[in-house]
Amino acid sequence: MSEFRTVAQFEDVPENALLGVELDGVSIVLANSDGEILALHNECTHEEFPLSDGEIINGQVECLLHGARFDLRTGAAKALPAVRPVKSYECRVEDGTIQVRL
Amino acid sequence: MPKNETVTDLGLDEYKYDFRTEDAPVFKAEKGLSEELVRQISAHKEEPEWMLEFRLKALEIFYSKPMPDWGGNLSTLNLDEIYFYLRPQDEMQRSWDDVPESIKETFERLGIPEAERKILAGVGAQFESEMVYHSLKEEWQEQGIIFESIEDGLKKYPELFREHFATIVPPADNKYAALNSAVWSGGSFVYIPKGVKVDIPLQAYFRVNAEQMGQFERTLIIVEEGAEAQYIEGCTAPVYTTESFHSGVIEIIIKKNARFRYTTIQNWSNNMYNLVTQRAMVHENANMEWVDGNLGSKLTMKYPSCFLVGEGAHGEILSIAYAGDGQHQDTGGKVVHAAPHTTSLIISKSISKGTGRSSYRGLCKVYEGAVGAKSNVECDALLLNETSRTDTYPYIEIDESEASIGHEASVSKVGEEQLFYLESRGLSTEQAMTMVVRGFIEPIAKELPLEYAIELNRLIELQMEGSVG
Amino acid sequence: MADGIMTRPETVGGPELLAERRKAAWEEYQSLPMPTRKSEEWRYTDLSKLNPESFERMEAVDRSSEPVASDDLPGAIREILAGDSARSGTLVELDATIARLELASEAVAAGVVFAPIAQIAEQRPELIENFLFSSDVAPMERKLWALHVAALSGGYVLFVPQGVHVENPVHIIHWLSRSGAMLSTHSLIIVERGAEVTVIDEFMSDDLDGDSLSLNGVEVFGGDGALVNYLALQRFGSGVKHFSMQHANTPRDCTLNSFNISLGADLSRCDVTSHLLGPGSDSEMLALWFGGRDQRFDFHTLQHHAAPNAHSDLLFKGALTDKAESVFRGMIRVDKDAQLTDAYQTNRNLLLSPDSKATTLPSLEIAADDVKCSHGATVGQVDEHQLFYLTSRGLTREQAERLLVFGFFGEVLARMPVDSVRDRMTDAIERKIEIR
Repeated sequence: MSEFRTVAQFEDVPENALLGVELDGVSIVLANSDGEILALHNECTHEEFPLSDGEIINGQVECLLHGARFDLRTGAAKALPAVRPVKSYECRVEDGTIQVRL
Repeated sequence: MPKNETVTDLGLDEYKYDFRTEDAPVFKAEKGLSEELVRQISAHKEEPEWMLEFRLKALEIFYSKPMPDWGGNLSTLNLDEIYFYLRPQDEMQRSWDDVPESIKETFERLGIPEAERKILAGVGAQFESEMVYHSLKEEWQEQGIIFESIEDGLKKYPELFREHFATIVPPADNKYAALNSAVWSGGSFVYIPKGVKVDIPLQAYFRVNAEQMGQFERTLIIVEEGAEAQYIEGCTAPVYTTESFHSGVIEIIIKKNARFRYTTIQNWSNNMYNLVTQRAMVHENANMEWVDGNLGSKLTMKYPSCFLVGEGAHGEILSIAYAGDGQHQDTGGKVVHAAPHTTSLIISKSISKGTGRSSYRGLCKVYEGAVGAKSNVECDALLLNETSRTDTYPYIEIDESEASIGHEASVSKVGEEQLFYLESRGLSTEQAMTMVVRGFIEPIAKELPLEYAIELNRLIELQMEGSVG
Repeated sequence: MADGIMTRPETVGGPELLAERRKAAWEEYQSLPMPTRKSEEWRYTDLSKLNPESFERMEAVDRSSEPVASDDLPGAIREILAGDSARSGTLVELDATIARLELASEAVAAGVVFAPIAQIAEQRPELIENFLFSSDVAPMERKLWALHVAALSGGYVLFVPQGVHVENPVHIIHWLSRSGAMLSTHSLIIVERGAEVTVIDEFMSDDLDGDSLSLNGVEVFGGDGALVNYLALQRFGSGVKHFSMQHANTPRDCTLNSFNISLGADLSRCDVTSHLLGPGSDSEMLALWFGGRDQRFDFHTLQHHAAPNAHSDLLFKGALTDKAESVFRGMIRVDKDAQLTDAYQTNRNLLLSPDSKATTLPSLEIAADDVKCSHGATVGQVDEHQLFYLTSRGLTREQAERLLVFGFFGEVLARMPVDSVRDRMTDAIERKIEIR
């Protein structure tokens, strides 16, 4: 089981914001949904556009390009044209830092 | 029973668009698009806050997206000259005298009943069909079937509506979906409960006619598990309208084991830009059929789609396109296989006459994991004149090795031998051509309800006149 | 680091005809952006990481007067030269150096010209000035074409005069020796009225320890009633990114057939264009590719019917295994006046592994009505029934699959005009199938 690694500071992701980070070459998007930080793979499963360019709506992230939506917690596809879920990563906040486990 | 409103001759220019109602502020319809207009629309419909926000956000998305650089020629479409919202009453104030002669003649030739002619010309209220609608409505209500205008759908079934609305076609999907999402008005809301099988096709023109010619209609259809139904909109007779831009969005959700067919026949007048996004999400073992007839308009861009997301789902698109002089039909279909053992079929038949141009544009996408997916696409184009044009642009993206995908297209003209044979049996060249064309579209025409098929045949006959020589 | 034309265009020397065109190409190259995935033609192939300036380019060197000895040639080339049957002409290019150039005496006597471009540009410019680099290159291909011309590192002119039938194939072997290099070779083939010739351009290298860039341009101009068979065999090792832009022009009654076999390289992109310019012209375009590892194959074809009564028939077949991916984009374009056109296009893809992927976009644009045009594309796996049939007759599943893949390619291999090449390619494919 791999370890939790720090990818950002808690202040870097304010309420309702998205932030794209990289860990070991993997592109990850961090989302602050009602104070909780969640992490997903930063690539829409429709046409590979970065989800970090989109916006958070009601616990989902909406892709800027065609409006596809994914559940922030599970990564499940919630609106077409996405049909495949996006990978979700374990994420926690410790001592003000955001840590993700790949 | 609502009264049959008689249409009086109103001077179109000065009076038409100024209106006063008792409880609402003066509404003055204006050309062009603006945030103000969107707010007015939402206020008029007394929509909840979330819908207003949705519309405003969609407007922003519309402004931010570029015009597509593929498809038909949209350069002469001037959005500043278009009325984006006319209240239903406004739309009715047109005079029969203003309808072009050629349209009136066509009605005559096609044998369209008097009352219907006025509807098609956007000129009157359809009394007879209202009656039919009301009696069917009672029957349906008992079964729990919902068939309302989209505005009433939002008002009466807010949770159901919100759960599904814009999940199939989000505003950001494409520029014209964004536009529709901002200014949508009119359309249908349909809900078929679990296991219910509706044997009479739901017809758009049964509903109160005001919204039927909506330029920016929005339709949401939910078919629950095991249910079955059919929906028909449009008609083969030419629809005359002063408005020249139609951008609709149709979202359909078909749940497990359900079956649904959506039939559209469009014969908009030749000044119309017709851009429509039609999409269905098909769940496990469910079945979806699009039957799409595109006969009119100056330019149509329409690609009914099936997203096959449940195992064993099946999607079919049967498309007929007729492009006469000066027309461009850019149509086709899309299928997305996102689950195992899904199947799809696209059959497209197009006819180009005079300087008409028909283009097939399609997508077949198979995601990895869609094991056992099978898809077949067949597009055939018939060219009737030297000046006619046709194109085929399929996109086939296959990411699953255990899938079987086939695509075939052919282009030809009416064969000399065929004509010779028919003429030697006493048919005139024109009659022979008509027979060949009818035979060409027969595989799809036979899927149409009888009255449409008859009208379609008559229409072809009409179009074939003067096609020779 | 790049040198020469990349940084100092005024230093291009050599014959004026060539230098002029290369300088103009350099200007054009600089003025155009690299195509991105937003354009249709490059939607599936990402050029964003391609940096031509990071490769070392070379100027052509002609050592044909002191040909390199057989022992000094790479083993693979030696084998071909020793083994292949009769040839009417041979050219071996080691990177930018022409190491060997031979033309059969009968051909010489008949007036056939087979020489490096620079040499002809110097000695007989009138022979090529109306042809060299004159092809109608589509807007999205122009950047790479301009680079190819500007960075020219070698190539040849093959000129066959009226009525001359060149008896045996003319075979050109291009060898890329190392990583970090950019090679740009051009084949200019001019075949006059009634003449006949078969040309083979073969591309090879070992597996490289880094990346190299191979640019290739082919222009074939046929005369009335001429017959040309053009074969391109791409068998690079790993590390190579190969871009081949092939343009053929057939006037009245001219037949021009092309065969592309792509087995190697990391990325192989071929643009195969055929302009049917005169009635009675005929073009058969065949291709075959077999991908493994994470190879990418990208084919763009155009059958352009500009004249009536012409015939074209395209058959492109590919099989992919491991993580290989392919794209086929084929267009049949029939102009308004091209009545009685007969044009066909077929693309078949076999996916042999779960991670392989095929994208196919067969397209038609038809503006004439009295035509017969059709296209078909399929993507699928080896037929289960056929597999069962063979395994039930005692073959292992691997053996059965191999046989079926061979059967799949058989259609294309059977139509190759040069027996020895067909045999060699069959061997190469067999070896590739076995390795996986």
